[in-house]
Amino acid sequence: MTKPTILLVDDEERILRSLRMLFFTGYNVRMTTDAHEAIRILRDEQVHVIVSDQRMPVMQGSELLRIARETSPATMRILLTGYSDLEASIASVNEGEVFRYLLKPWAVSEVKEVVAQAAAIATASFAAQQSSSNAIAETRMQKFLVLVMDNEQATAIAVEEILQHRAEVIWAQDERHAQEVLARQDVSLVVADITMGGNNVSYILKTVKQFNPQTQTIVLTSFNDTSRLIELINQAQIIRYLPKPVSNNILARNLEFVIERLHTLRNSPELQNRQSVQAIQDPQEKQLSGSFMGMLNRLRARPAATQS
Amino acid sequence: MSRESNPVVGIATLIKPIKSITPHISLDNVADLFSDIAYADVLSLPVVENGIPVGVISRYSFIDVYLKKYSRELNGKRPIHLFMGKSPLLVAHDQQLADAAQHVARNMKFPLTEDFIITENGRYAGIGFVVDLLKAMELQMRENTDELNQAYSRLKSSQMALVQSEKMASLGQMVAGIAHEINTPLGYVQNNVAVGQEMFTQVEAMIDVYEKLIDSLLDEYVSEEQIAAQMQQVAEFRANNSTREMIGSMQGLIDDTLYGVGQISELVLNLKNFSRLDAVATETVDLHECIESALNIGRNVLKHRVEVIRDFGALPAVTCSPSQLNQVFLNLFTNAAQAIDVNGRLTIRTWHENGEVQISVADTGKGISPEHLSRIFDPFFTTKPVGEGTGLGLAITHQIIQQHGGEITVESATGAGTRFHIRLPAPSSVLTTGGAAIGASHHQHEEVL
Repeated sequence: MTKPTILLVDDEERILRSLRMLFFTGYNVRMTTDAHEAIRILRDEQVHVIVSDQRMPVMQGSELLRIARETSPATMRILLTGYSDLEASIASVNEGEVFRYLLKPWAVSEVKEVVAQAAAIATASFAAQQSSSNAIAETRMQKFLVLVMDNEQATAIAVEEILQHRAEVIWAQDERHAQEVLARQDVSLVVADITMGGNNVSYILKTVKQFNPQTQTIVLTSFNDTSRLIELINQAQIIRYLPKPVSNNILARNLEFVIERLHTLRNSPELQNRQSVQAIQDPQEKQLSGSFMGMLNRLRARPAATQS
Repeated sequence: MSRESNPVVGIATLIKPIKSITPHISLDNVADLFSDIAYADVLSLPVVENGIPVGVISRYSFIDVYLKKYSRELNGKRPIHLFMGKSPLLVAHDQQLADAAQHVARNMKFPLTEDFIITENGRYAGIGFVVDLLKAMELQMRENTDELNQAYSRLKSSQMALVQSEKMASLGQMVAGIAHEINTPLGYVQNNVAVGQEMFTQVEAMIDVYEKLIDSLLDEYVSEEQIAAQMQQVAEFRANNSTREMIGSMQGLIDDTLYGVGQISELVLNLKNFSRLDAVATETVDLHECIESALNIGRNVLKHRVEVIRDFGALPAVTCSPSQLNQVFLNLFTNAAQAIDVNGRLTIRTWHENGEVQISVADTGKGISPEHLSRIFDPFFTTKPVGEGTGLGLAITHQIIQQHGGEITVESATGAGTRFHIRLPAPSSVLTTGGAAIGASHHQHEEVL
């Protein structure tokens, strides 16, 4: 069996030399300080995992990962950065669609684990690409269920207007209501503000993603905190992060994109793994998530039984 | 507002409850009253009918009438209302002092010879002395001055707090930048140490296997099978390239680690140097050190985008507050970095001329429009979006340079760049410079920070 390929990109050579030591036994390691060279490698070789720095002279990491998404969609993308600024982390979600946002200095075991997981997922993706490249796109007619979690109804109305007949939109104006909807119905897309009634409700998004990886999440919030966003990337794999206020245009564009993604996921369920999440770290969130997970298991584990 | 704390001195406090006279009493009676001890202080007698003041007769105008030839005989029995002033000067008891004073000054014909009448809801309440009014006015003015002084010192301390907070804000930003900067070397240093630890474990295991084999070979009681098994183990270790490769790379990794630790200490030292001198007010320093210190601290914003050109001349040591000048330079450098959209140059030139140290900081940024340029040193003037700039940076820069007895000027061309020019007084004593011969200037060209 051939080793998976990992591509390391950082403008500091010492980082590359150092990281290489963690991976050379299990991986075919490619590394470069030049983002353009990285793009060339992505085009010419099968790269399973790309680990990139954010701040680099010719190109930002999020930009490189955006290009990687187009050049080699099966490659898993990881950002490894010492700078945790908000702009970069938003770009890493919306443009880079990163699998993990890791911070320097890193914990050796964590990085090894994340890369191993990513490599396994990428290997499956590459295999699926070959076997089912001509899968028939079906189920277009099926309506998606969209849950809008927001204290204000305006967001729900906007989402409903954009999606019209293509989706059924439910508005949950508080935490409890949101939990109930998620526990009783098969929600495909959650559009959520992470603060409801003054509480941080990130745990709901994290738990739902653990329970059902197919659920997609768009976060729409005026609460800007980099560390919380990084958690949402790693532990909830949110697909978009849109700072409020958001124009209808931008909301529409992102909703269209995610609806398209939902269709793709229905047709090739093996892609779900690409959004596997990390366990929740925060003890309080863990507890909240635990009881919500219990509720999900009670009510949702009996598929279709709820109908009768 | 805060005026409430100072109770307004009202007219009411000035009331002299002098017994008024009716309009019908005779001139002779008035003459008696004026010489009565009870009315000794009074300049004017209030004439009141049914509680309403209807006139006034002052000593001065009374004497004018009464001392005329035969006037006593002719007019002595006639009523006073024929002689009194018919429009007495009235002041309401609840009027503000300043308003009343203005009213009195404007309407009283002979202020030092007359009194005014104080009324309460239009009715006679007493008379007031102009002198008392003046005294009260003076008192109030003194209080106002005190209040102004207090307000001034409050303003001054809040300005100092603002200056401090601007400094903390810019320092905070820089500290965050430096902290991030440290993460990169810290990342590989930590990782290299972990790799070294892993390698150490493997090498230990390897040595263990070799030693056991040697022990077995030397021990005549050990069976052939056992030795063969141990040989096999050694062979496996030898076949495993990873340990070998690790050992091979270790030298390089240790070099990297030492380099990284050096970088971290340099960054920490920079931070320390930058803020060290808050305690010491003034010191004699080499300004090039301040400039380098600020460049290091601001590296985060300059890195990758801004080419820094140092054109340093020979400078005498300057007595100044280094931490304040660091703040000035950092402010100018970060402004330059912000003015440069993509890539550009920051040229720092220093020279000594006319007993002054001259520093020019020029960028190739987007420049400042003429209408903004004239306000650039004004406090709270900013063109940055809300929340990004306090609008105090350059105002404080200006203030610091002024406090050092120097001057800062600016010229700018939209689209071409901006140049700040600082002059600081410096006695031309010892020339200390970054290695250049006296008088000569040395050019140092740095690619990218």
